[in-house]
Amino acid sequence: MSVRDLSGNRRWLAFGALCLWFLFTIFPLYWVAITSFKAPPDVVGGPTYLPFVDFQPTIKAWTDLLSGLRGEFYSNFWSSAIVAVSSAMFATLLGAMAAYALVRFPFKVRLLSGVLFFVVAMGGFLLGRDVLGIAPASASIIAFTGALALSVFANRFPLPGKVLGNDDIVFWFVSQRLFPPIVVAFALFLLYTEMGKLGFKMTDTYLGLTLAYVAFSLPIVVWLMRDFISALPLEVEEAAMVDNVPHWRIFFGIVLPMSRPGLIATFVITLAFTWNEFLFALFLTNSEWQTLPVLIAGQNSQRGDEWWAISAAALVAIVPMIIVAGLLGRLMRSGLLSGAVK
Amino acid sequence: MANITLSSVTKSYGAVEVIPPMDLEIEEGEFVVLVGPSGCGKSTTLRMIAGLETQSGGTMKIGDRDVTTLRPGLRNCAMVFQSYALYPHMSVRDNIGYGMKVRGVAKPEAEAAIANAARILNLTDYLDRKPGALSGGQRQRVAIGRAIVRDPDVFLFDEPLSNLDAKLRVEMRVEIKQLHRRLKTTMVYVTHDQVEAMTMADRVVVLRDGVIEQAADPITLYERPANQFVAGFIGAPSMNMLDGQIEDIDGTLHFCGPAGVQFALPKDRVPALISYVGQPCVMGIRPEHTFDTGGTGPSVEIEVVDIEPLGPHTMLIGLAAGAKFTGQVAAGTRAEPGERRQIHFDLDKLHFFRAGDGRAIR
Repeated sequence: MSVRDLSGNRRWLAFGALCLWFLFTIFPLYWVAITSFKAPPDVVGGPTYLPFVDFQPTIKAWTDLLSGLRGEFYSNFWSSAIVAVSSAMFATLLGAMAAYALVRFPFKVRLLSGVLFFVVAMGGFLLGRDVLGIAPASASIIAFTGALALSVFANRFPLPGKVLGNDDIVFWFVSQRLFPPIVVAFALFLLYTEMGKLGFKMTDTYLGLTLAYVAFSLPIVVWLMRDFISALPLEVEEAAMVDNVPHWRIFFGIVLPMSRPGLIATFVITLAFTWNEFLFALFLTNSEWQTLPVLIAGQNSQRGDEWWAISAAALVAIVPMIIVAGLLGRLMRSGLLSGAVK
Repeated sequence: MANITLSSVTKSYGAVEVIPPMDLEIEEGEFVVLVGPSGCGKSTTLRMIAGLETQSGGTMKIGDRDVTTLRPGLRNCAMVFQSYALYPHMSVRDNIGYGMKVRGVAKPEAEAAIANAARILNLTDYLDRKPGALSGGQRQRVAIGRAIVRDPDVFLFDEPLSNLDAKLRVEMRVEIKQLHRRLKTTMVYVTHDQVEAMTMADRVVVLRDGVIEQAADPITLYERPANQFVAGFIGAPSMNMLDGQIEDIDGTLHFCGPAGVQFALPKDRVPALISYVGQPCVMGIRPEHTFDTGGTGPSVEIEVVDIEPLGPHTMLIGLAAGAKFTGQVAAGTRAEPGERRQIHFDLDKLHFFRAGDGRAIR
């Protein structure tokens, strides 16, 4: 049943209920918006609700923020924007490729070769660092590369034990998001500092933060894109195969355009994550590539709870996402596949 | 243009063999229809020719080339799918021209090929539309256009008309036949619809469980089916079958069946049937060779179950001692379910099959 089917009083009742719910959801945004225009006495002296009636609006918080009085605002905004957009785009593209492979090609991973990877990688790292005295970063790079090559090679042989298929691989991807991010954040910080000692500066760099975001976004992208891609008709790709279209062209010229709504939805979700992300940004950046969420969080510690300043900064973080969702939302509509089959 | 040769081609999924070794020779320029009930392996066979399905054994040749291990794109086939399989984000023009664009065909040449295909298929006015804005018949024409511009050695059709309504199907059937006449390219066509098979094919290959039951021109299939399965599959409504046996009564051979069927066999059938005296066998008679008036020939008594007035004639669907039996009677005949009727049949149109393996007795 739809609300449109209601008539008379029940229609007005439904309308009223929806209005209430709308007010309930919009109020926090409204509160943030008006608070950013309040002067300090209007904030600390009890609640005030209506501009010009309860209090006299001022743009002091905004001029403070935009003039750089409250930290490197412009620099943080742009590093946030650059890192968030580029990592979301890269993660979506990379994840779509992985998802396509997982939908169309059956993989067989022998559990024993996975165990072999773990043992050789860990053992090799410990051996290199503690016995041979190699620097931790070099030891881990050598051990992991060797272990990967060895396990890929070993997977070609009929090893005993369980054979994992595509569903297991997807679960393994998704499981990366099950443990607390702080675990990864610590490990990444250590890894990046060790790499820094080797001469690759990773902390507080564009590459370092973007790579971390891409890696952490990939599971959700693969998981979402797998559903979108498995809904695509196989015949369309087969028609292209018979037509002698190379596989990479089928992917970029046919599969990606057909899954455009899914790609955009996934991109927006990933962007929301990378734009709002706080923990990694806090650990892995300090000045040059510090992002907006870190700046906002910093607002309340520098001079105490200055809600007017925090509100202005929070609005700056919220508004771009609203604009992006509004613009891309139109492109997310389905029905793009009509005419392909049947 | 090329001929296609399948030698002992097999297909297995794990331990299940869906196509036992199959030999089939398709002549250059021939229109071959693979027909059979669902699950008979006809689509699998077609997909193996296209290379979309790897074969488990045997060799496949298109022309002089051994294509057994070649990937689909290198076999120079063009395929039309049941579900059209158009690129939904491209206009009709781009759909038809995409393959040429990828292959690097020069633009004027590609434009000319697209225009030519559009002219043949009456698509000229729709070239800038997206597939979503076309009707089913137009979409399938676009798919055929995409196949034409490929200029293939072989055209492969996988139930291309199954998604269309009945009227459009008849129209498209004629168009595809005309296309074959015009292009003279080898065509392999898969369908489950025996009418489509009969009307279009130079040669029909009837498949069951991956085995070729009979491969012959439509009239031979209809008049001289190799076995009971082909006899029952080809023709609509399907052939009536009565279990009975051949007996020697007073020196003449008789067929004795259920529901009061007993008659002397025509002289020309005696030499073939004489060795089956005393043995069970199956008699077949097509509904169109039965009638209810002028009762001189042998007849069977049926209990009417349903009546189908088709216009030119009326079908009486009934049971002859438990076996389904359809009689074709004069238009305007009236009958009630439960009524008993005598249905006569033409002695010259009888078919006989061995009871065990269903092989035709000739």
